[in-house]
Amino acid sequence: MALSATVSQKKHVKRKAPRGFLRRLFKRQKPHLRLETRGDVLVHLNCLLFIHRLAEEARINACESKCGIIKKDHVVAAAKVILKKSRA
Amino acid sequence: MANNFSPDSEPTARTLLRRVLDTADSCTPQRRRSDRISAQRTLLETPSSRRRSIQTKVTARQRSHGARSTGRLAHGQAGGQLEEQTPRTLLKNILLTAPESSIVMPQSVVKPAPAPQVVQPSRRKSSQSSLELQLPELEPPPTLAPVLLGSGRRKQKLRLSVFQKEVEWGPQGLPVSQEPPGNPDASSLTSSLNLTFATPLQPHSVRKPGLARRPPTRRAIDVGALLQDLQNNSLASTPLDIVLEDTQPFSQPLVGHSPNVHYSLPHPYPGPEDAEGTVHHRTQGSIPELQNHKLQPEPADPLEMTEAEGSKRAMEAKNPEESSGDEDISDRPASSELASNVPEFLQAKQLDQFLEPAPSSGATVLSSEPQEPVLARTHPRPRTAVPRPRQDPHKGGLNHYTKLFSFYAKMPMERKALEMVEKCLDKYLQHLCNDLEVFAAHAGRKTVKPEDLELLMRRQGLVTDQVSLHVLVERHLPLEYRQLIIPCAFSGNSVFPAQ
Repeated sequence: MALSATVSQKKHVKRKAPRGFLRRLFKRQKPHLRLETRGDVLVHLNCLLFIHRLAEEARINACESKCGIIKKDHVVAAAKVILKKSRA
Repeated sequence: MANNFSPDSEPTARTLLRRVLDTADSCTPQRRRSDRISAQRTLLETPSSRRRSIQTKVTARQRSHGARSTGRLAHGQAGGQLEEQTPRTLLKNILLTAPESSIVMPQSVVKPAPAPQVVQPSRRKSSQSSLELQLPELEPPPTLAPVLLGSGRRKQKLRLSVFQKEVEWGPQGLPVSQEPPGNPDASSLTSSLNLTFATPLQPHSVRKPGLARRPPTRRAIDVGALLQDLQNNSLASTPLDIVLEDTQPFSQPLVGHSPNVHYSLPHPYPGPEDAEGTVHHRTQGSIPELQNHKLQPEPADPLEMTEAEGSKRAMEAKNPEESSGDEDISDRPASSELASNVPEFLQAKQLDQFLEPAPSSGATVLSSEPQEPVLARTHPRPRTAVPRPRQDPHKGGLNHYTKLFSFYAKMPMERKALEMVEKCLDKYLQHLCNDLEVFAAHAGRKTVKPEDLELLMRRQGLVTDQVSLHVLVERHLPLEYRQLIIPCAFSGNSVFPAQ
């Protein structure tokens, strides 16, 4: 057997993907579509990268405005840029 | 003389430096050319050969009355260590004065540096007593080495202490003052000996925490609350975490999404048995809570508790945000519609009942939220239950990514900013689903496959010709998911996942 079917107690995965959450989301959005078993892990990866880019952009915005904390408007500005980039 | 030193001494920078300093001579111009060459040769071979062999060679060399060693020593002595501030002398001083961190080190500390600066004639006496006297400058007397070798670390420490005392006081109680006047290293060595004398105890104790595994701090209350919330959640929809929850056919979600995001996670946990006891007490007291009816019939199964605990703990470690989100529901308002559904699922899983007592007990034991959970337990919440189920797991899942956002940002954030992130993520996920639908339709399929995902990431510019999808998977996903995605060859001519 290539992989173990269960995750033993010792081998708990750090930063688990919320696979159930993602599958449910997809099902709710597109009930006529099906998502493959590995697809949701890749969706999780996609979200991770999106969040990563968003955080970088927000941090840059905050640093540019010489703020010690990230404010809402920083996030909004960052989101605009990143969502646009993700669209293309 | 094969092993002068205990085999379990580890090569550290200090020991290697010592070897080097021991084997190689100080570069004094007065030394004979041949000696210098030989010293260089020994210097070269030192890093390559094993420590023990080096040590044996060194000690053998030093103990022998070979002309080479004597000549070298003589010349070394002639050089004098203070006249020139060579890197060697500086290193030696550092080694001598810096506190030792290892137990075994003290031997070599004694042994040290001073080799070149040894007082020649006294050294050559080679009697044990003289060697001990000359310890500050000399290599450790071989007599002590076997003694130290034979005993364990603790004994080494003890004997070393005795040895050090002897060093300081001399075999006849004389203070060590026999080195030539210009030998501050001796005093530094004694001081370093003093230092090392103190340190042998420390390293052992210091090492302990590193080696000894502390039992993981158990945050059982968290687990209990988490379970309770999870169960509440599970009533609403399919469980978020597959590891923790079995399939529970709950159709109705539990209401009670109180804003308890601030539930402090570390809560004292009385223990499963205590929890059950207290819960039973409390549940009998709170009749209107239909959910509590579950608690009364069956006591929680301790076995289930323990295994669930482990999984919960693991899960909790993984998804603290989800647990906090789930904890929001710990109030468990019992609306009538929920109550009607509850009895159906009551018999479904023992786990639920078990979950209920644990989290509720944890909640009550908690000092942070004393009022709300108790109130929730005793007072039926007439809140509207319908929007809850949609929101909570959704928020819980988004919370997961929000926490990642704050982690990636590495800066403190406002709460409003985090909510904004949630909204952005929501919008992004909608766009994502749309795109995937388009891609799948373009390929004439009704199932979204990983190829569609790869195409999406390529379009977003995450996957380029330089950076492939597998590279991203390797970077950002844990091993278990990487095994799922990247095909790997296993034994028996099988590849998983199959292409």
